[in-house]
Amino acid sequence: MPGAPGGGPGPGPSPVDRWTLVVFSFIMATALGQMNFTGDQVLRVLAKNEKQLSVLRDLDGLKPQKVDFWRSPAKPSLPVDMRVPFSELKDIKAYLESHGLAYSIMIKDIQVLLDKEREAMAKSRRLERSTSSFSYSSYHTLEEIYNWMDNFVTEYSDIVSKIQIGHSFENRSILVLKFSTGGSQRRAIWIDTGIHSREWITHATGIWTAKKIVSDYGKDRTLTNILNAMDIFMEIVTNPDGFAFTHSMNRLWRKNKSTRPGMFCIGVDLNRNWKSGFGGNGSNNNPCSETYRGPSPQSEPEVAAIVNFITTHGNVKALISIHSYSQMLMYPYGHSLEPVPNQEELYQLAKDAVKALYEVHGIEYIYGSISATLYVASGITVDWAYDSGIKYAFTFELRDTGRYGFLLPASQIVPTAQETWLALRTIMEHTLQHPY
Amino acid sequence: MPPRRQPPPASGPWGPRPAVLLLAPLLLLTQQGVAAAPVGAEGPEDSPGLQDAEFPSGLLQQAARAALHFFNFRAGSPSALRVLAAVLEGRATVNPKKGCQVDLVFTTDHYNPEVGEEHLGKCSARVFFRNQKPRPAINVTCTRLIEKNKRQEEDYLLYKHMKQLKTPLDVTSIPDSHGHIDPSLRPIWDLAFLGSSYVMWEKTTQFLHYYMAQISSVNQWKTNDDTIDFDYTVLLHEFSTQEIIPCRIHLGWYPGKPLKVKYHCQELQTPEEASGTEEGSAVAPTELNNF
Repeated sequence: MPGAPGGGPGPGPSPVDRWTLVVFSFIMATALGQMNFTGDQVLRVLAKNEKQLSVLRDLDGLKPQKVDFWRSPAKPSLPVDMRVPFSELKDIKAYLESHGLAYSIMIKDIQVLLDKEREAMAKSRRLERSTSSFSYSSYHTLEEIYNWMDNFVTEYSDIVSKIQIGHSFENRSILVLKFSTGGSQRRAIWIDTGIHSREWITHATGIWTAKKIVSDYGKDRTLTNILNAMDIFMEIVTNPDGFAFTHSMNRLWRKNKSTRPGMFCIGVDLNRNWKSGFGGNGSNNNPCSETYRGPSPQSEPEVAAIVNFITTHGNVKALISIHSYSQMLMYPYGHSLEPVPNQEELYQLAKDAVKALYEVHGIEYIYGSISATLYVASGITVDWAYDSGIKYAFTFELRDTGRYGFLLPASQIVPTAQETWLALRTIMEHTLQHPY
Repeated sequence: MPPRRQPPPASGPWGPRPAVLLLAPLLLLTQQGVAAAPVGAEGPEDSPGLQDAEFPSGLLQQAARAALHFFNFRAGSPSALRVLAAVLEGRATVNPKKGCQVDLVFTTDHYNPEVGEEHLGKCSARVFFRNQKPRPAINVTCTRLIEKNKRQEEDYLLYKHMKQLKTPLDVTSIPDSHGHIDPSLRPIWDLAFLGSSYVMWEKTTQFLHYYMAQISSVNQWKTNDDTIDFDYTVLLHEFSTQEIIPCRIHLGWYPGKPLKVKYHCQELQTPEEASGTEEGSAVAPTELNNF
């Protein structure tokens, strides 16, 4: 499976994995038509002391067996999970209650869960077979996006190629799409999306934009002029580990998944890990914080990969880093209120880009420097880009302004991408016309 | 430059809230400095000269949001929730010792975008942020957009829909990961937002502001003949720290009756300290003389 964690050091099988294994074996059993679990429940019991634990162990010893432990009684501090057949529920619950054992219902009806899992698996098998019908108006998993990339590069191989620029902490590939009509080491534009994994609208916008670029080349004069003289690099899943985690466990995960020995919390905020104003106000040195900057600048492989790529390339002239949400278009600095030397030019360009965006669907963006418009943030991508000599460094915060926030409905993907495209094109055109 | 925004201490000074909510009368401040900031559609850069050096960016927005949370809670009406459209004008008076008073006028939109209603509402508010402390004092008045009886009718319709929902509710998260809310569950979201408005108002400071990101679980949903008893866990997104804060909220609601809210939020976990909690409860006042 593409993107599966590789040989890096990892934790042992988590309780979730063990559950998955148990559920899977149940699916196999029902698939073979042998067993039916309608009405069966999984109860989680918390034993407060050894006495209560032994009450639970007594259940295990009953013949015929009345419960099936998914997580056996071990220590008073650890939860005990038991599958209770429908016919035994009343008796078992009475037994627990009479001994003062608190329980909660983890799974109300196992058969319902199994049916749902089976249906989901069948559905994903159907999807794989029809890859040509990739939906640009839906959110996708990491595997789906990586599959789409391969198909996309094959279909538009005259303009697009795929580059691997490194590996994530959990050893997933970090991939960049290159749009080029030729030349060698042309002046280039860099676009990244998904550096914060919960901002799903950004990856979706990146994917739509990639398709827009190849579709409009040769048709839209501005885009054609841009691509005839410059290259575009697009990193769609800038934080693949975090993104996988938003699908598997925590939809609102922001950081990457790196850990270090002795650290109580996981993950570094990739947009605080850059070498510009690192460690200042607007980032945090508490590993449990959402804006944890990491132990040192570029300590994170996801950031180092980009730094190495852009530095080695040497000819990137614009960098656009896309986030959500707030509806803003901003330029450096984030780490201080000090204006950048070409602040006036960036202000005007932002104003034009936002106007072009507004004309598509009437969505209002505000614009200005990051520190004045959003908040003070240190060690961010665009500050590093600017200090590395990239004069046109912008960051977007896409829709919306808080009604749905990170959980923007999929129905807004295409409208968001459509309007954002006009702003991107404005910035790219200006970069083309102002070589330096 | 705005002061460093540390996450609040795990076991902080935020003790349990008083059970009864009252509008705090506004204090008269010595005038330390006045900044008037006419706000257009473009953004803060348009009037740089008028910005006081101590202005955190977006202070007017901050005040408007706080005022709206408070307004929504006090109105107690899930069918009449409002969101911020734009700040029209505002002025702030900063007293470095005490806090910051903001007077402002802003427009509002209906929270539920599906409702065909076109009109923008208009509100004027006075918001007082006490230095480093949450729970700004708020005085807010909004133009009457809908007659009180009509509003109660809408609320009663919502109540009837809620009563028809099958219990126990077979839901996990609202919205789901793809941002989808089943239309039949929309009233639950609206009611949850109403309860969350109280919590978000109480937690807002000059620098911290919140959005309701997701209902992560529905613990209890009981529709009796005279109350809806709703116990849920909501994930709040605090914007300046980007933290996600789970809050357990228990509310009681019935159309026309004051909203009752109890809550318990889990604050940021540090490696050394155990996670702290923040609690509060309130009953909305019955006297709504500007409605």
